[in-house]
Amino acid sequence: MTLVDVLAIALVLASGGAFLGGEIALARAEDLRAIYWLTVGVASLRAAVQIARPGKRE
Amino acid sequence: MAAQAAVPGTYAWGVTVAPGAWARGAPVSARIAAIAALAALAAGATAERRWGERARITGVWAFAVACAVSWSASPRGLSSFRVDAPRGLAGMLAWGLFAFASCTPVAPVHSASAAGSSTRPPRGDMAYVAFGVLLASLLEVAGWRIESAERALLVRFIALAAGLAVIGAAAQVALVRRLPRRALQGSRRLRGAAVALVVLGLLALTGLLVLVLG
Repeated sequence: MTLVDVLAIALVLASGGAFLGGEIALARAEDLRAIYWLTVGVASLRAAVQIARPGKRE
Repeated sequence: MAAQAAVPGTYAWGVTVAPGAWARGAPVSARIAAIAALAALAAGATAERRWGERARITGVWAFAVACAVSWSASPRGLSSFRVDAPRGLAGMLAWGLFAFASCTPVAPVHSASAAGSSTRPPRGDMAYVAFGVLLASLLEVAGWRIESAERALLVRFIALAAGLAVIGAAAQVALVRRLPRRALQGSRRLRGAAVALVVLGLLALTGLLVLVLG
C-alpha cells in the first residue's frame, strides 16, 4: 500500500464524515452549513475516486 | 454488486418490513420472515463471491419474497390507512433504489485479467467493501427524528445517495490495487485528482476562515 492509497482511503473516510455532518445540519434546518458539508463530501469523494482511477492502463 | 444492493435493501427492510413485523400484536411468523429476509440479503451478498450471478438473483428474490411474507403476515402490513405518508414515500424510494442497485450488472474486472491474476477477488478487497458498507450504514443513523416530512425525506435521500457513492468509491480504491505498477505512479494519480484536491483545499480554507472570523 502506497501513501497515495492511504490518502484515497482517508478521503473516502473524510467524505463519510462530511456527509454525516451535512445530514445532521440538514436535520437541524441549518441549510447553509448543510450545503457546505455536503459540498466538502462530494469534493472529497471525487478526489478519492480520481486518485483511485489513474486513467488509461499502459 | 450485491453489497451495493445490500444498503438500500437493508434500508427498505428497516422502513417497511421491520415496523410491521415488530408492531404490537404481530405474529411470530412475521418476525421470522423478516429475519429470514435480512439473512437472505446477507447470504446473497456473501454467496455472490462464490457462485456469481445465480446466487445474487436467488438472494434478491429470497429477500423480496420473505419481505412480502412478513409484511402480509403482520396486521398493519396491508392496511394503507396505517402507513403514514413520509414513511411510505421513504419506503418507495428505498425499494426503487434497491431494484436499481440489484439490476445493475456486475462490473467486469478488466484489470484482473490484464494483470494476469485470477477473477477471484484478492484478499483485502472485501475489507475495503466492508469498510464502505460500514461507512454507508453510519450515514443512515442521522436524521430519524425530523418533524418536517419533506426535510426528513430529503435527509433520507441524501443519506442513501451518499452511502451508495461511498461504497462505489471504496470499491474503486480496492480495484486500483489490481492495476499494473506502471499505471499506479503516485504523482500521476495526484495530477489526475488535482482539480478536486484544489477545490477541497479551498473549501477547507473557507470553512476555517468562517470558523475563525465568525
